[in-house]
Amino acid sequence: MNRRYILSAIAAAGFGVASMLAAPSPVQAQTKTIRMWTFLSATGTTPREVALSQIIKNYEGKNPGTKIVVETQVWDQMTPKFIAAHRAGNAPDIVWAITDFLGDAINSGSLADLNALFIKNWPATQVADHKSAYWDLTKRGDKQYAMFVSPNYISILYRADLFKAAGIEPAQIKTWDDLRQAAEKLTVRDAAGQVTRYGYAQAYSEQQTDPHMMIPYVLGNGESIFRPDGKANFATSLGIEAMTYATDLVTKYKVAPVQSATWTVDDLFEQFASDRVAMIQGPSVRVSTLQAKLGKDKIGMMLWPGSKTMTHSPAVMAGWAVGVWSKSPNAEEAGKFVDFMLGGESESIWVTVGGQSPLMASTAEAVKSFVDQPGNGYIRVAAEGSSKYGWLTPIDFNVGGYRQALAKATQRILIEGVAVKTALEEAEQRFNRQNNR
Amino acid sequence: MQSRFVGAVYVLPAFALLLLVLFSPVGYGLWFSLFRIQYGAPTDFAGLENYLRLLDDPVLAGTLRRSTVFTGLAVVFTIAISLALAVWINRLPSRIGFIVQMIVILPWIISTVVATLLFRWVFVSDIGLAGSIMRIYGFSDIQLLNSPGSAMALLIAVSVWKRLGYAMIILLAGLKGIPDDYEEAAKIDGANSWQIFRLIVLPLLKTPLLLVAVVLTLSNLNTVETPLVLTGGGPGDATRILPIEVYERAFVNFDLGSATALAIAMFAGNILLVLAYVRLSGWKA
Repeated sequence: MNRRYILSAIAAAGFGVASMLAAPSPVQAQTKTIRMWTFLSATGTTPREVALSQIIKNYEGKNPGTKIVVETQVWDQMTPKFIAAHRAGNAPDIVWAITDFLGDAINSGSLADLNALFIKNWPATQVADHKSAYWDLTKRGDKQYAMFVSPNYISILYRADLFKAAGIEPAQIKTWDDLRQAAEKLTVRDAAGQVTRYGYAQAYSEQQTDPHMMIPYVLGNGESIFRPDGKANFATSLGIEAMTYATDLVTKYKVAPVQSATWTVDDLFEQFASDRVAMIQGPSVRVSTLQAKLGKDKIGMMLWPGSKTMTHSPAVMAGWAVGVWSKSPNAEEAGKFVDFMLGGESESIWVTVGGQSPLMASTAEAVKSFVDQPGNGYIRVAAEGSSKYGWLTPIDFNVGGYRQALAKATQRILIEGVAVKTALEEAEQRFNRQNNR
Repeated sequence: MQSRFVGAVYVLPAFALLLLVLFSPVGYGLWFSLFRIQYGAPTDFAGLENYLRLLDDPVLAGTLRRSTVFTGLAVVFTIAISLALAVWINRLPSRIGFIVQMIVILPWIISTVVATLLFRWVFVSDIGLAGSIMRIYGFSDIQLLNSPGSAMALLIAVSVWKRLGYAMIILLAGLKGIPDDYEEAAKIDGANSWQIFRLIVLPLLKTPLLLVAVVLTLSNLNTVETPLVLTGGGPGDATRILPIEVYERAFVNFDLGSATALAIAMFAGNILLVLAYVRLSGWKA
């Protein structure tokens, strides 16, 4: 009897515990998890990661029923992986898509129409506030498939302290010859003739490659690096001239290091931060990180030199666009968060904490005093460049691999001594073959 | 009759799991490679079109040649060094032998990406540790990553260093399994050390050597992390091997059709290699 009593008591207690565990608490019952793929970590310490973390915290504070889960991805694989995950039916609710694959993401039907989700509720003034080349890039008819969160203007980052010491003003660099002469002036050699600091550098490794400096050169002279049918247009006489200019900095003028043929972007930033290079090609979004490391007064940004027809050559605007997965079961909540993350309140955080340049005219006005502070001038430079001298990669056809193709051509010229024309023709063939064109 | 099925019933769950985890992706990949792929999804049936495109690619022959050189040299060096280490450790007093074993195993248990990054930081031009040391002693900077030949040599060296511990452990286990009586009997018969090693130890190590050779060949042939992090396939195409080719086709150019076809071709090559190894060595379980 006693034993049966004990067993009954244990069973009753077990059922009680099980039912307590099974029944959701009031908070759990209402919590909705939104998965977001980005290359930033919500627990990271770089300015943009801190900004993202703060924005998520603000949103969750205002929406206690929603939990934003950031799933950090490798940046150059994230968009293709998202498209594959869309096909497999397990994509995240929100994705940050890179411009190179934005066309594929839209054409694959993986992105939801943000107009239907939340833009339709905006007043006309708010829509007008967002309009820019970035806005138009992700618009198809009356549908808006993504919105840019991280405009990335890729031009020249320079060491302001080294410029000052050499008596060079960025405004003096108006032509490509001026840029080379500035690089010559900034190059320092020791008594044995060894270079201790290079005037200019760019990373040419195929791993996580930035766009080549020949692109602004070609664009500034009125040509494109792609033909209308999507085929590569590298080996034109202008393309050869541009590539020759870039490689001559290494081989003829010796103001750029041959080692950069195998440097990654991270290697380049290490060199820049350790006084080994005075000017590099770099994106606006990395300035705040570099400033956090070296000091705000030491890093500046300037636009590319101009040509006979343009004051400044157009720079590649790579950037990240945010979209909602078209098959997301939480599309409405995901859209609500995207609306918040790209809204005025959050954009001020992206600018003042994350160090990004503003996309909206109202934000540019709101953060004017912040931009005017010493060391923040790069934000104005990037904003001016984006509005007047920017070039976005076409999204009507896949351009994946164009940066690698040009980087490889540069390696072939610098290390294997291949002729510029031959290297560019090979790069063209490779790009066209890889893209079935 | 009943007893014939008992064994099969026991292995069925493990086999089913293996089928699901290992072979279903291969089956899906094979099916996928027979279609035209648009935006990550199969559209029209294309038969062998993706495979024929591989044959038409003029750079693929070079990639295959480099893969063969890389894999062959990495396997030969790893086995030679690990065998020498295993023989040496086997003769050390047990405590010292244990410490040396731990040191040799260390690279094997470090994450490949971390280990490769360490090498990159040492050898990256200008700011690398190796260059700094060379400059301190008055030599000019070494630029291993900037020369096609030395970049491949460095890639092989990293691969050997990374897998040495695994090979050494397997071979050491094989050595410890050889009874001391054989060596003693040979010594009494007047055999010298080299004869004992060549005529007694080596034949008895045949099974572990074959196992090590197969595993090393497959792991080197299919490694993507090491070349991707260390050289990115460069300079030029100098260290571009098959796994990098698959990676770039899939994740840089988003050409999933030919990437899958190449991956399936590599899978078939892997199986053929294993069969060839087993056949050539006359291995019996």
